[in-house]
Amino acid sequence: MGALLADGGDLAVPEDLTPHAAINRDEWAKEAAGYVAGAERNWASEEISWGILDAPESEVRILPDVEGKDVVELGCGTAYVSAWLARRGARPVGVDLTAEQLETARRMQEKHGLEFPLIHASAEDVPLPDASFDLAVSEYGASIWCDPDLWVAEAGRLLRPGGELVFLVNGTLLMLTTPDVDPVVPAGTDLVRPYFGMRRFEWESDDGIDFHLGYGDWIRVLGSHGFEVERLVELRNPGHDAGRYHLFTAEWAEQWPAEEMWKARKLA
Amino acid sequence: MKISPDAERNRANWDRRSDEYQTQHAEFIGRKDEPRWGMWQLPDSELGILGDVAGKDVLELGCGAAQWSILLAQRGARVVGLDNSARQLEHARQLTAAAGVDFPLVHASADEVPLPAGTFDVVFCDHGAMTFADPYRTVPEAARLLRPGGLFAFSHSAPLAMCCWSEESETMERHLVSPYFGMHRFDDLPDQPVEFNLPYGEWIRLFREHGFRVEALVEVQPPAGAETTYRTAEETEWARSWPMEEIWRCRKT
Repeated sequence: MGALLADGGDLAVPEDLTPHAAINRDEWAKEAAGYVAGAERNWASEEISWGILDAPESEVRILPDVEGKDVVELGCGTAYVSAWLARRGARPVGVDLTAEQLETARRMQEKHGLEFPLIHASAEDVPLPDASFDLAVSEYGASIWCDPDLWVAEAGRLLRPGGELVFLVNGTLLMLTTPDVDPVVPAGTDLVRPYFGMRRFEWESDDGIDFHLGYGDWIRVLGSHGFEVERLVELRNPGHDAGRYHLFTAEWAEQWPAEEMWKARKLA
Repeated sequence: MKISPDAERNRANWDRRSDEYQTQHAEFIGRKDEPRWGMWQLPDSELGILGDVAGKDVLELGCGAAQWSILLAQRGARVVGLDNSARQLEHARQLTAAAGVDFPLVHASADEVPLPAGTFDVVFCDHGAMTFADPYRTVPEAARLLRPGGLFAFSHSAPLAMCCWSEESETMERHLVSPYFGMHRFDDLPDQPVEFNLPYGEWIRLFREHGFRVEALVEVQPPAGAETTYRTAEETEWARSWPMEEIWRCRKT
């Protein structure tokens, strides 16, 4: 069991991080200050909403009833998803590799009087026991910052038979149409990179390394780690000025999927 | 049997174009070495879709001249070929006679199959009825026709590719041409058949709704130098970077 940041203990991070995990930890240490305002906004929100598009869970309906369930959030960042689920009766555990993000999460816990364990670890190697959760979630966490085969294998290990995995990633078409320039510009319509072979991405605009798979590869990775695909929800901009646009325009996201959510169930 | 307006239109279209289609493609898709999929005729043994069919009851939805069904019959499957075009089935009868095999050829639209429920181990097509009939009718039909544990597999155009086809240039563009959300019925040219496709997530939803587990989505990348009678060299080059053709493999639970 890793150190619980909620206890205020120092952080024992395993030194055998994958190279991209070590790079992403350093990158997110720099980025964390820019995510405090978002943490405050999301922790204060009563509604669950997903992604940049702020798609309301009341419409997406991808989560099960979480009352009484053990939930692990893989790459929780400031842990607002865990907070939303805790308020609905879940017992969440947040896992993140960036100490600065977990410090924000801990401040939010104190401010909102809502405590749950926060574990400083990579979602590619989680210091928690097998088969101890009913639901694993990741919203732009492990789902894009970790190697898909490593973190999905960990989700499979952590879940009980029949447990559910729900995660959100950038839309596949968005990843094909986002120019690699600094500063970032919104996706256009040109296919700027191949689909075949897409997996590990490095960008001019930051030092992080992220992972994005095509549709067939997600189905293959999930299946190879004992999951059955139940849903793929391709989020569409509702047409009004919802969300925060930076990677795409509102018009783009009305025509093509800027964000995707997958739901899979661990086979018994 | 009364069929839907789209099935009526596609039947007339395929009856009209069948001879020309077979003249253009029959030699390419009629290779007799092993079952092969799609526009680039990649072997099933490499793609791992159908596998061993010996002793299985197999239905081909949109069999055309039955090039696929003949190969499966020769490998020990009990095959039924279905097609919406009488003229295509005339070609099929010529080819089955020439190959010395005999199996039922059913003239019907795949969105209303005149065969009993739970009688097949495999329902499949290769750019057949899953392109030319409405999936909201064919997916439930496939589910009805299969036994529990049966395999539903089909190739068709990748939804992503549907967004990159330009009617103006009549080729695949290296940019998004048309919207993705809401894709279903493609009825752009009056002298062409109506075609159907859905967003990836909607395919998965439809499969699950009708009791299918998604086992694989094989996105076909033609190897360097792959040949085809269906596409230009430029289009094959496009398909080396982005999925133009894909094969779903689903299991009835």
